[in-house]
Amino acid sequence: MLVIDNCRLTWPDFTADYSLSVPAGNLCAVIGPSGGGKTTLLHMIAGFERPESGTLTFNGQDLLPLEPAKRPAAIVFQDHNLFPHLSAAQNVALGLRPSLRLSADEKRLVGEMLDSVGLEGFDERKPGTMSGGQRQRVALARALISGRPLILLDEPFSSLDPTLRRDMILLVDALRRNRPVTVLMTIHTPEDVADVADQMAFVADGRVVALGLPADILNSALAPRIAAAVSDS
Amino acid sequence: MTLKLPHPGSLVAFAILGLVAGGFIALATFDGGTPTLLSIGPYLWRVLAFSVIQATLSTVLSLALGIGLALALARRSFPGRDIVLAILGSTMVMPTIVAVFAVFAVYGRSGWLAEGLALLGWNGSFSIFGYPGILIAHVFLNGPFVARITLDGLNQVPAEHWRLATAFGFTPFQIFRHLDWPVLRAETPGVAGLIFLMCFKSFAIVLALGGGPSRSILEVAIFEALKIDLDFGRVAWLALIQLAICLSMTALLHWAFTRPPVGHTIRSLVHRPDAKTKALKLLDAVVLALSALFIAPLTFSILTGFRSMLDVIDADLLQAFVTSLAIATAAAILACLLALALASAARRRRIVLRSPRIAAFYDLLPDALLAVPPFALTAGLFLLIQRLGDPSTAGLILLPLINGLAAVPFAYRYVAPHLLTAEERYGRVAASLGITGWSKLTIMDWPVLKRPLAAGFALAMALSFGDFGIIALFGGTELVTLPYLLYERLGAYRLDEAASIGLVIVLFAVFLAHASGRLSHAGD
Repeated sequence: MLVIDNCRLTWPDFTADYSLSVPAGNLCAVIGPSGGGKTTLLHMIAGFERPESGTLTFNGQDLLPLEPAKRPAAIVFQDHNLFPHLSAAQNVALGLRPSLRLSADEKRLVGEMLDSVGLEGFDERKPGTMSGGQRQRVALARALISGRPLILLDEPFSSLDPTLRRDMILLVDALRRNRPVTVLMTIHTPEDVADVADQMAFVADGRVVALGLPADILNSALAPRIAAAVSDS
Repeated sequence: MTLKLPHPGSLVAFAILGLVAGGFIALATFDGGTPTLLSIGPYLWRVLAFSVIQATLSTVLSLALGIGLALALARRSFPGRDIVLAILGSTMVMPTIVAVFAVFAVYGRSGWLAEGLALLGWNGSFSIFGYPGILIAHVFLNGPFVARITLDGLNQVPAEHWRLATAFGFTPFQIFRHLDWPVLRAETPGVAGLIFLMCFKSFAIVLALGGGPSRSILEVAIFEALKIDLDFGRVAWLALIQLAICLSMTALLHWAFTRPPVGHTIRSLVHRPDAKTKALKLLDAVVLALSALFIAPLTFSILTGFRSMLDVIDADLLQAFVTSLAIATAAAILACLLALALASAARRRRIVLRSPRIAAFYDLLPDALLAVPPFALTAGLFLLIQRLGDPSTAGLILLPLINGLAAVPFAYRYVAPHLLTAEERYGRVAASLGITGWSKLTIMDWPVLKRPLAAGFALAMALSFGDFGIIALFGGTELVTLPYLLYERLGAYRLDEAASIGLVIVLFAVFLAHASGRLSHAGD
């Protein structure tokens, strides 16, 4: 269970105060207008932003004192996830060992993980020769291979076309169902995740305005604001 | 059938090639016996060897200083960092003759170092002529340039990569390997080639600090063959060799390095996880201290020009200022017009006529101009002017012309990308409306072009204003520019006056370069 309780962050022009809990094993979709604080929420969980007050725990463990590398979280960004000078397999291997010195077993694991995201035979390919969707698959494979139980996806498929985006979301859903992972995914097209997400959080002005089942959120009084947020981005 | 006028760009290209060819033919066919290459053989080998060795050493040392400094600056933030970056940026337009002055003032016979050592009771002597002076001047000019380019590159590493490095818990070595090294590997070969080329043909520095015929490079040898021996045949041979070497280097650079070396440093918003490592803190402190120890005195020696600034302002100085300004303005106008014509021809070939090979020729031509030895071209054109008419006005024509040609590549780098942008945005609309030629330039291109063109103009002017090149041939009682005046004062060991003149040149050049930077970044 991920529990965020009154985590407060302030900037000269923006204040965020998050409270949110996500049961272990759930996929929680985070929606809301751009500039509303969706990405900051994920960055805070990953450890790139430090709240001034509040608590942040995962399965009872306090995350706030931990450096990003020590947190049980892996993150995928919208873009620039891969190092261009490393092959797909090496990029995935970074999730296991930043030194890239892998045992034979670990190498096999990397290959299997690439297979499971639908990239058989892509091991030696460089990111520059891959499509946007393929690059995000590699990033996803790296997040999963790290074995970290909390997967943070920050608008991971927003630069892909709608059909491909939907395929990728179904892939995420399939992959997370046979693993002990909790997933938080920000997304600006809520209808793409409505049937796969267990939870949906509407974030605006640095706050979690509403949290519930996707169908409930999408049919609530927030519907016009959600529609506005989608058409805005 | 109607007669179609050739594109202005092709006319310009032919004119430039014609000028260079004409100059060389005039040199080679001048009466007075052409020496064979063999007769100047041993001398030539000595000059070539010195050219290559000093350029290689200068390049290696500049890269070491610049890369070390860039990495240290990338990892650290401290009060005054912005000022340091501004100083590093200003050496890009620091005229070479001013750098020569700084080396004299700090390391010369009666410079600060000698005075300081004398105070400590040391009464030996050392000479800066030869390798020490040349290397110090080259590293002073080019080390900061490397640092700026490399820092710009390092700052372009996406923020996401830094977050990933943090999330994976990269060690400092892994950070270097996966984030810094790819940038260095991509940028360094091109920068190294560029610096080698600049040092290989670095006229003013080697002329003033070489200290004798055994410490000469090709460009200086050409100058001496002209000024002292009036041996046009030797000039032609030396110039051909210089041209061949520099052209090969330029072509190699074009192939290896296409990123234009103009950029601005954006402060990376993400903090580097390796900033906390103790060993790196120590390393960066040492690097920053050594760099400061090297760069600060040289920079400061120029600033001391403030002291006697009021004393040196006289009719001579004002006259020289006006002359420099006039030459720089004419050169900048010429450079911008030529760059515009060439760039628009390149664009037409690339997009409208779909012949990228010819477009690449237009792209290469401006940089190839830098490979032409200016003294040989000047001498050749002087001989042509002499044949056609009155040679007494040759300096007034040749100074803006040669300076203008030398500034074309810099103007081209500002103009060409924006012309392509305009075509990509509005080219189809213009084509469908039948907007071509002059109206295409004024309606479609001008709004996109005016700022980069102004930026290119200011930079061309800054470079030309501080140039100490062929003025060394024409300078004298009648034609004196500020850099020439500075050279004269240096020769007379009047360092206080030299400092003030140097400061005037630097302030004006930095002002123009700053304006250029503002113009090129505003509205992006």
